[in-house]
Amino acid sequence: MHEYSLASAIVEQVKDIVQQNNANKVKKINVTAGPYEMVIPDLLKDAYGIITSELEKFKGSTLELEILPAKINCLECEYTGEPDKEGDQEFAFNFKCPHCGSRDTHLKIQYLTIETVDLEIPDEVTSA
Amino acid sequence: MSPEKKITVKKQAYTVNDELADEIRFLMKEKKKLFFNIMGSVGAGKTLLLENLAQRLSKYHRIFVINGDIATTIDSDRIAQHGVKTVQINTGGGCHLNANLIHKELNKINLDNYDIFFAENVGNLICPAAWDIGAQLNVVVVSITEGEYVIKKHPIIFKNAEIAIINKCDLDGLGFDSDILVEDASKIKSSMKIIRTSAKTGTGVEELIAALGIKVPKGEEYA
Repeated sequence: MHEYSLASAIVEQVKDIVQQNNANKVKKINVTAGPYEMVIPDLLKDAYGIITSELEKFKGSTLELEILPAKINCLECEYTGEPDKEGDQEFAFNFKCPHCGSRDTHLKIQYLTIETVDLEIPDEVTSA
Repeated sequence: MSPEKKITVKKQAYTVNDELADEIRFLMKEKKKLFFNIMGSVGAGKTLLLENLAQRLSKYHRIFVINGDIATTIDSDRIAQHGVKTVQINTGGGCHLNANLIHKELNKINLDNYDIFFAENVGNLICPAAWDIGAQLNVVVVSITEGEYVIKKHPIIFKNAEIAIINKCDLDGLGFDSDILVEDASKIKSSMKIIRTSAKTGTGVEELIAALGIKVPKGEEYA
């Protein structure tokens, strides 16, 4: 539901990166997010397309979203990492700690993160 | 062909929200204020519960309530009748409150004039779970009329909340069963504080006040 504002936040940050690097064009932006951040990949791409359609330096660029594996914090033994694969038949997301077996676990928030940006740099900048 | 360059960024897209949320939390702690995020479905009874809290607490504490809704000032008007200060945020199409909206409202007031802050989030069991608003405690209100599977269907918001309120318990046994929701809330998080309430009759409100860590003068808990 909030993919449009997330896409705008990405574009705003990348605009700054373009300026800092005196880049001509943005080629590709790679972003990651955890599986429970409520980001729908297709909606994010659509929103990105709409926002960047009027931006010269973003024309033809792509946005790649990688959904990361779930991570938990165990409240019993302080383990942080991927949960036990077993899951819970009764409760979705009620993950088990692979270390101590407890289900007293918190989902670790893995917010949408800009990982890398591929830019096209004019010749004079790189040779200078 | 122009050369290309890969820039490593490793930065959250929405850093603004979390930085602001942390700033709000820090400020509240420093000034010794309490700030609660009240979440729950449309019709769960969040506003009536807040009316109950306002009625009982306004004698002893200075309270500020921020109401989030798509439209209207119905909720803030209702709560303001109980002698507390309220402000309504209309999110337009927004399905949740965020730290920026809270920060803007807090900037308009002098925090020193209040002791306890409540944010009544937009009625929704999905999106508010993913947006930190800087509260010290996240509270989810769920009513027994929402169906016995409501917690199972919306696990994330419960998983990451500290208090679950099972509301409309005056209807318990009349075709609705609070035990199922209490059991599910404790299964999904063993450290969850679970409180049965009826915002209609006022049952459980004192217990809720205690769970929130709000002090009232001794012997006047039922005032």
